[in-house]
Amino acid sequence: MKKFLAVRIVNILVTLFVIATVTFFLMKLLPGSPFDEEKLAGLSDEDRMEFYARYGLDQPVAVQYAKYMGNLVKGDLGISYYYKGQQVESLISSRIGPSALLGAQAALLGVSIGLILGMIAAFRHNTMWDFFTMFIAVIGVAIPNFVFAALLQYYVGLKWGILPVAFWESYDSSILPTIALSMMVIALIARFMRNEMLEVLQQDYILTAKSKGLSQMNVIIRHTLRNSMIPIITILGPITVSLLTGSLVIENIFGVPGIGSLFVDSIKVNDYTTIMGLTLFYSAFYILTILVVDLLYGIVDPRIRLTGSKG
Amino acid sequence: MRKSMKLLALSMLALVLVLSGCNFSDSSNGNSDSKDGSKDEKKTLKLSLENDIPDLNQVKTTDGISFGILNNIMEGLYRLDENHEAVPAMAESVEISEDKLTYTFKLREGVKWSNGDPVTAADFRYSWLRAIHPDTAGSYAFIIADYVKGAAEFVEGVATDSEVGIVAEDDTTLVVTLNEPTPYFLGLTAFVTYFPLNEKFVTEAGDDFALTTENILFNGPFTMTEYDQAAGVKLVKNDKYWDKENVGIDEVSLKVIKENSTALNLYEAGDLDRVYLSSSDIQSYQDDKEFGTESKFNSWFVQFNLTKAPFDNVNIRKAFQLGYDPEILTAQILNNGSTPASGVVASGMAGVDGKLFRELNPDLVTPNVEKAKEYLAAGLKEIGGTLPAIEILTADDTIAKDTATFLQSEFKKNLGVDVNISTKPYSGRLQAMRDDAYQMGINKWGADYNDASTYMDLWVGTPASPLRGHYSSTVYNDLVAKSKSETDEVKRMDYLLEAEKALVVDDAVIAPLYDEGKAFLQNAEVTNFTIHPYGAPLELKYIKKK
Repeated sequence: MKKFLAVRIVNILVTLFVIATVTFFLMKLLPGSPFDEEKLAGLSDEDRMEFYARYGLDQPVAVQYAKYMGNLVKGDLGISYYYKGQQVESLISSRIGPSALLGAQAALLGVSIGLILGMIAAFRHNTMWDFFTMFIAVIGVAIPNFVFAALLQYYVGLKWGILPVAFWESYDSSILPTIALSMMVIALIARFMRNEMLEVLQQDYILTAKSKGLSQMNVIIRHTLRNSMIPIITILGPITVSLLTGSLVIENIFGVPGIGSLFVDSIKVNDYTTIMGLTLFYSAFYILTILVVDLLYGIVDPRIRLTGSKG
Repeated sequence: MRKSMKLLALSMLALVLVLSGCNFSDSSNGNSDSKDGSKDEKKTLKLSLENDIPDLNQVKTTDGISFGILNNIMEGLYRLDENHEAVPAMAESVEISEDKLTYTFKLREGVKWSNGDPVTAADFRYSWLRAIHPDTAGSYAFIIADYVKGAAEFVEGVATDSEVGIVAEDDTTLVVTLNEPTPYFLGLTAFVTYFPLNEKFVTEAGDDFALTTENILFNGPFTMTEYDQAAGVKLVKNDKYWDKENVGIDEVSLKVIKENSTALNLYEAGDLDRVYLSSSDIQSYQDDKEFGTESKFNSWFVQFNLTKAPFDNVNIRKAFQLGYDPEILTAQILNNGSTPASGVVASGMAGVDGKLFRELNPDLVTPNVEKAKEYLAAGLKEIGGTLPAIEILTADDTIAKDTATFLQSEFKKNLGVDVNISTKPYSGRLQAMRDDAYQMGINKWGADYNDASTYMDLWVGTPASPLRGHYSSTVYNDLVAKSKSETDEVKRMDYLLEAEKALVVDDAVIAPLYDEGKAFLQNAEVTNFTIHPYGAPLELKYIKKK
């Protein structure tokens, strides 16, 4: 186990280094600069270079890269060009809160409802229940979440006045965006769960369990559910990451001051340090989630415990 | 199984609990009105911002949203009034020397920062020097450095601060020396980069200056009590402000709402007092009594590249300039409050003697398909019969793309010329034009101050930059240069009028498109809402609410 972890951590560091390098050079291919180029256009070429020089942007990309990586090793992500004077760390930490809250709630809501729907569909296979839940699942996948968001906002927020239309002022503000975000998760999890359970229910050991005289409930909880969870856990990793790191569209629609739009905006305005900081943050988060998922497999399925194996 | 499910559920619950302590920008204390029931009800105003607030450091910031907020929490020597004219603010009066080069400002008695310190002439000197010093300046340094004597040399490091023409003679007297007579200088002192700063406070705040409400001092009509770059700000009437009797609103919230349809829903729900409309919503609201439009000094035009075929030929340029009608574009395609342009200087811009610049220089370009065809024929003869492939460069936002598509179809219909559209992201478009990689490009210029020279300065050069089409005309350069040194206002304006004619009519360096406008809905109880068409747009001081 220890060896497995050590190898994985080295792998993670190498991966992050590669990501940082590739992103840095790709980013430098973007046209423009982090400054108001329309205004700088009035300057002569020398004056403009002098202006860039104040930020070290006149140097060759390789030199800039070496400097950046040097600071990165010291844990310094630098200062944003667009949000002038702001440390990238504090920029990320101030924005991640709302996004992560919405993401966590949406994951929790989506997974629990999805599991329940999936189970109902499996146990009531080929009945109205099954068709109904699968209909919901298809809709959840087919209709983009911003359409749900707009509908929720218009009816629940504006027409019925039950919840805030938008803004980020109290816990109530987080309910509609959570629901909008969770639709996709519900649909995905429900379909996976249904298919997986149908398959597990065909297995010999279920028949054995039943013939031992175990109660229906016991069979479901002890034998069926657990064995149906493996594929769910696999997709849970990416789902959680994509939810926690924020959704540009949902955040914009509900006026949530989250991290989703920060990434897109930083690319638009060539905010180099913020692009790098966010890329590394997302990557690290994603890689760590995969690690956690791998560890979870072991808990769910003893056959893939990682002791002694290379993973 | 039970264990793992529990583990999963518990860890998620824990995460939620940890996160739910996260920052809701709770400004629901609007019902604090009820506490002081005896007093009049608090007048509050709820507005939205269409994007994040990048930077409230006044000497560095460059965007309209930050400018708009700063304009209401701070104040310069002058402030723009409801008619966009500069009126005394921190300054009580000014004396202008005979040669119009020396301005002696007298500060108002008793003007104070929000911490109680007096606002002094030294605060202005400190801030202006900070705005142009290479270590602290941003890309708006030019707005001081271009005018104040010795400032350009100071920027380059060949002059010391004592050689710059900004002198604080005593606490209330500021003497400013200019390079050239600049009739719009008072208007400039109303601009954000010219606001004062309290040196002691800025030094103490250090790197944290302007990052939180505690790290900014206010001297404007409002103070800021909440500030979150991604969520918005809350402003409260400043009771240390010298003119607080004339500030009609007690509290203003400005919240970031990037999605247009959300803002509209919020307006309908009564959560916003004003909202901008997208072109698709205008039709359904334009007969509403809450509907209105505003225009900005933001001119859009086609820039021809004078060194690239076929636009190195003046007749071809004129053909393309006359070959479409901007009115069709603004009325049928944009439909957003924009107005068709006939020159490059924005139509609302001041001229002289109470007349607008455009009134003095009317109808420079009048669309005329017949004439356009004649020019095209003449041009074709001169260049030997056939046009090369032509591409029009545009940024990738909807409005710019729609404009390009419109031009493409008009050129095809009216001139029988095929034009391809090359779309690039905002900064890519600018870069391509600067790198000389274009034949014609859709460009715009937003005025920083209310004078035609903000436009005319752009095309000066021998030649001007590739972004300005390599324009090189001694006639034009002379006219602009003469306008700079002329002390007689009427003559000075004549030079600028002639310069625009040379640029647009004689040499057809650009083809006019439109002046950017915006349509909005506004709560009928709110009056005197002022949006300045140039400089810092948002003006909350004069607003009244029933």
